Formats: sequence, structure tokens, C-alpha cells
Amino acid sequence: MDLDFTAEDRQFREEARAWLMANVTHELRPHEGEELREYDLAWQRKQYEGGWAGVSWPVEYGGLGLSLTRQLIWFEEYARAEAPDNHLCFVGLNHAGPTLIAKGTEEQKAYHLPRLLKGETVWCQGFSEPNAGSDLGSLRTKAEIDGDHLVVNGSKIWTSHGHLADFQELLVRTDPDAPKHKGISWVICDMRTPGMDLRPINIMTAPHHQHFVQVFYDDVRIPLSNVVGEINDGWKVAMSTLGFERGTAQIKDQIRYAVLVERMIEEAREKFGGNSPLSKDEIGARLAQLRADMAAARAMTYMVVSRAQAGIQGSEASLMRAMVGEVQQRARRLALDIIGPDALENPEDDDRVFYYLRSYSITIAAGTAEVQRNIIGERVLGLPRG
Amino acid sequence: MDLLPNDEQTAIVDAVKEFLAGEAPVDRLRAHGEIGNPDSALWPRLGELGFLGLGIAEDQGGAGLTAAEEVLTFREYGRHLLSPAILALALAARIAAASGLLATPELLAGTMRVGLANRRGPADLRAGTGTFHLIEAQGAELIVAWDEDGAALFRRDDFTIEPVRSTDALVSLERGTLSGAQPLAYLAAKHDSIHDRARLMIAAMAVGTAEGARDMAVDYAKVREQFGKPIGTFQAVKHRCAEMAIRTEAAWSLTAFASLTYALGREDAAFMATSAKIVATDAALKNGASNIQVHGAIGFTSEADAHHYLKRAHLLDQLGGDLRQQRERLLDMPSTL
Repeated sequence: MDLDFTAEDRQFREEARAWLMANVTHELRPHEGEELREYDLAWQRKQYEGGWAGVSWPVEYGGLGLSLTRQLIWFEEYARAEAPDNHLCFVGLNHAGPTLIAKGTEEQKAYHLPRLLKGETVWCQGFSEPNAGSDLGSLRTKAEIDGDHLVVNGSKIWTSHGHLADFQELLVRTDPDAPKHKGISWVICDMRTPGMDLRPINIMTAPHHQHFVQVFYDDVRIPLSNVVGEINDGWKVAMSTLGFERGTAQIKDQIRYAVLVERMIEEAREKFGGNSPLSKDEIGARLAQLRADMAAARAMTYMVVSRAQAGIQGSEASLMRAMVGEVQQRARRLALDIIGPDALENPEDDDRVFYYLRSYSITIAAGTAEVQRNIIGERVLGLPRG
Repeated sequence: MDLLPNDEQTAIVDAVKEFLAGEAPVDRLRAHGEIGNPDSALWPRLGELGFLGLGIAEDQGGAGLTAAEEVLTFREYGRHLLSPAILALALAARIAAASGLLATPELLAGTMRVGLANRRGPADLRAGTGTFHLIEAQGAELIVAWDEDGAALFRRDDFTIEPVRSTDALVSLERGTLSGAQPLAYLAAKHDSIHDRARLMIAAMAVGTAEGARDMAVDYAKVREQFGKPIGTFQAVKHRCAEMAIRTEAAWSLTAFASLTYALGREDAAFMATSAKIVATDAALKNGASNIQVHGAIGFTSEADAHHYLKRAHLLDQLGGDLRQQRERLLDMPSTL
């Protein structure tokens, strides 16, 4: 056990902090549409131009080729500086990119990775289907080989920002006769391919907030050279992808939320701390518990990174994910209670209510809280399957 | 940055685990009966193995290690529901060593008995006044007390004592009043923040207690059958067990991290120690309750060990100030991000 950082690590931190201080924009991030795409890509481009994109990505594809520790330091400073949460780049930087690095061909890597780092492309996910949510392995969108192409038919749903994306990481069934986890392939799908139809799906944050699309595929032809990993081996490729979602990038979220709680404490002190100390108020007790739980979420993420560094494979990262989901939702809810009666208003220029409503997705996306708990019960604790 | 134990730390943990597995299995408590515990016989042996002065400087007779090694061992003590007198002994040895008391070698050897004094009303340790609960102080020569200002050693004879029945029947409990006794030794918090060190040790014991309860519940859910299946196949039970695992992971990760910030004297050390005590005692309390529920009716009896974990959790919560007091302290601290 240690919290040691080398002199070079500390210098890296100083430089990251200084650059972020000078370059982070605090302009309110648009919630949807082309403006959102422009905002997120511009910030990614700025990071690339500043020499900070892809800290642990290979140098030959535009990354910095540095250690997991440096990646962690970058994300910590990024969050402390309250740099924008460029969520449009999330799938590309945290799923698709790492998957390509691990399983992609030279050609796939050379084309896609630099574009991701430079903020030129947006990626979306094509995993869930109307009848394959928590039971992702039962997905049915089929792809048949025709010459040097796959021909895709079916539908994907809950594709965040699909209407703003250039590429999709797409899971398709390439062998309908194989056992359900064996006949799946992981494919790069260009969102401008003919035969794709996008249906917008608005979310509960405010009227006309488009977030998702449902995608329909009607004889969509994708070159076989876009398959990542082996054909029919897509489940394993996808599981490594989902694994990245539980890695170092999470520290950014933990610190971002810890900063949010500090802001909430300041606000509550001003608002409720007049005649008696805040600690005597019910809100105060909840804030204190959140402060402690946020520290725990951060420490749990360090634990995940520690296990990854030691090469320990397992499902323990689900423990962190389950904790973080619950704590983040609790934070957004408490922010609302601090606002009081005005929380009935959902103004465009204050996103506290927006993010409160948005927080309901945290325990659903990337494996519901219930699926997380099944994984913990069965794979961490060894309880029998139902 | 690494929250996993290194080779030397793993060796320490393995040695403690082996010792406790042989000498202090949890079912010793049932064999012993419903009142008291036989643990004081273990102290001289732990002393011989060098565990009582882990975090004390080598030139003061200790092992010269840090709070990180202390929390690793206290986690194991908690898992075995070891008497909290082990905490009294470790803190007393620290105060004695820093003050150059003649009793130091005996404390490090575990041959002198020490109890805990936990505040139950206003107190001034330096002036030797206040009302306390005395925990595991029967038969003890010395009693250790601490607060935010400092830590003190008293003689048992300094207290006016009134017997009470303990909720956690495995430990002895009395009420004690000090009316102007001179402490044998007093260590101001500005020289050594024993209260935060104690928070870490209690948090670590609470982690172990929460883990023990989790393991007992999970083991039972794997073998107990109803409706023709192990009850652990049912999501209602499985998810309850998963919650227990989430809490212990949170509590241990934070306690380990906090112990490192303390060992380095970082400015977030007090914040993290307080957070750790909150998260860990909360985990111990909730896991203690869940373990009883997973066991069903047998969990409600004294024929099973489940109740011991819950009662110990309540004791650990009260030691050095309960959740409410810890939350107040944490809320009053400045941000350390």
C-alpha cells in the first residue's frame, strides 16, 4: 500500500494543472443537438492540440504512451479543474478506442484512433435491442456474409447521441445456430451507410430533449474489414469494451461529484447556516454522509486501478460501479432539496434540475443496478445462479 | 499509488490471520458462554509476535511501521470479533512510549491489562474529570481515554465505578466517573493526533466486523435450502448479500486510503480518517443487521453468532463518537480536494 508518486509524476501533475487552469472553458455546455457536438469536439481538439489527449494511448496513434498512473493523474486534475464532461466523446475514447487498441487491425487503428484523439469523430454504441437489454447476449440483429461484406438487418435501441455520431460500435449475430454468446460479432458501422433509419427518442429531462435514437438496419452493407477481432468472437471483444467503462476514467467522475458536493455544502451553509450550524440540520447530516461516501467512491476507484495494475482479473469493479451509481443519484437528489421550492423550475441556464432528472439513467446504463448485483452475488461472492 | 498490500504487509496479515484462525475462531465466543470473552490470554502472545507496537517508533520499542500496517491488522481483529481491549493496549502503548512511562515494555509485551474509557458526557482529560463508559476495564490496571485535544492514561483506581449490563455481552461495561484525577500520562493532539489514529483503527475493526457478517451470511445463503433451492439463488437474498459486499469494499478501500494519507501526514488525513469511520461503522451496522435477516429465525437466537456482529458494530460506532458526531465533525471541515 502506498500513495507514492515519482518526481516525474508530480511534475506531470503540475503541468497538467497549469494547462487546464489556462485552457478550461466554463461556458455552459449545450444539452443537445449540433451545438453539443461542436462544443464537445472543440474541447477534445483543444486537448489534442495542447498535447494532452490519449495520455495512456500508444504514441504511434497520436497518444502520449504514458502509464496508467499518469492517466489517473490527468483525469484527477481534469476533474479538479472542472473541465467539461465531453460525453459525446465518451464511447469513442473509453469504449471503441481502447477496444481497437486491444483487438483492432493495423488499418482500423491507423484510421480511427488519431481521429478520435483529434476530436474529429463521434462514436455511439449499438448494443441494446428492444428485446435484448439486461439480457444482452440474446441480441438478434443479424448479419449475413455476402462476398466481402456483412449484410445487417434488425434494430438497435438506447443509442445515446446516435444522431450526432459518425461511427457505431455494433454487435450483430453472425451465427444464429451457435450458443447465444458464441455467434456474435463486433463491427464498426459508418453511420452514413445506406439502409439505416434513425428514430429519435426524447428523454425525461425536459420536453424535446433528444438523447437516444433507435436505429433500423435494412440490408445495411458493412465491409468485412470492419469486423474487430474474429468473426463470431464479438462477445469477448464487447466484454473487454465494457471492462474499460469500469477503469481509470471513472476517477474523473468521482472527483467531479466530490467537487459538486463541496459546492452543495457551500450553498447550503449560506442558505441554512444562518441561526444554527448546518450540522444540526437534516440537510447537513445528509451532506456529511455524502462527503464520506464520495471519499469512499474515490478510494474504491483507486482500488480498481490498483487491481488492474497488479493484473488481477475479476468482477470486483462491479462493487465500485454499484456504489457510485447510488451515491451519484443521492447527490443529485440532495442538490434539489437544497434548492427547495424553486426546484419546481427547470431553467435552461441552471442545470441542477436537468442533472437530477438525468441521474435516473445512472443505475440503468451499462448494466442495471440489479444486473450489477447479480454479477456481484454470483461472480464475486460465489452464490449459485437462479 | 497502490491500495493493495505489498509483500511485507502481506506477510504481516498472513501471520495475524494464521494466529487468529488457530487461537481466536469466532465460535470461541459461543464455547465460552454468553458473557465475557477469553481474549486477554491472547495479548501476551500477540505481544511476543510483535503486533502490539506495530506503529510505534523503533527507538521507543515498537516495530517502526505506519498506520497502514495497523489498519491491516485491526481489520483482522475485527473479523474475529477480538476484544476491543486490543485497541486500548495499542493506544496505551503509544501514549506510554511517547511519555517515557516505565510501564511501556509491559504494554508492548501485552502483560499489562488496559481498558477503554469512552465519553458519555462532558469531560476534560487533562484535568481528569468527566463521565465515561469503561469498556473491558474489569481487571485492568490502566485505562486509556482520548478526545480531539489529546489522549490520557489513568489508573482504574482513579474512577468511581458503577456496574451496568452491556449490550454487547462479550465485553465488560461499567460506568466510570473521574473527579479531578491527575493522568499518569497525557499526550496533546498537536503532538500526536491519536484521535484520528483511533478513528482509523476503529474503522478497520468495523471493516473486519462487516466482512465477517458478510461472509457468514453468504456461507449460509449457499447451503440453506427453501423451496427446493439454496436461498442464495433468490435475487432478494442475493442482492442483500451483494449490498453487504459493496459496503465492505467501500469501507476497506477508504480505510486503506485514509491510513496512507495519515501515514504521510497529508492535509486530507483528518478528513479521510473521519470519513473512514463513518463509512466503516455504517457498513458494520448495516451488515450486522442484514446477516441476522439472511439467517431468518436462527439469526435472532443466541445459538447463532449473528447477533455478536451487530452488537459489536454498535460498540464500535460509539467508540470515539458515533455516526452523528462524526458527521458533524466532517461537515465542519474545509474541503481538501
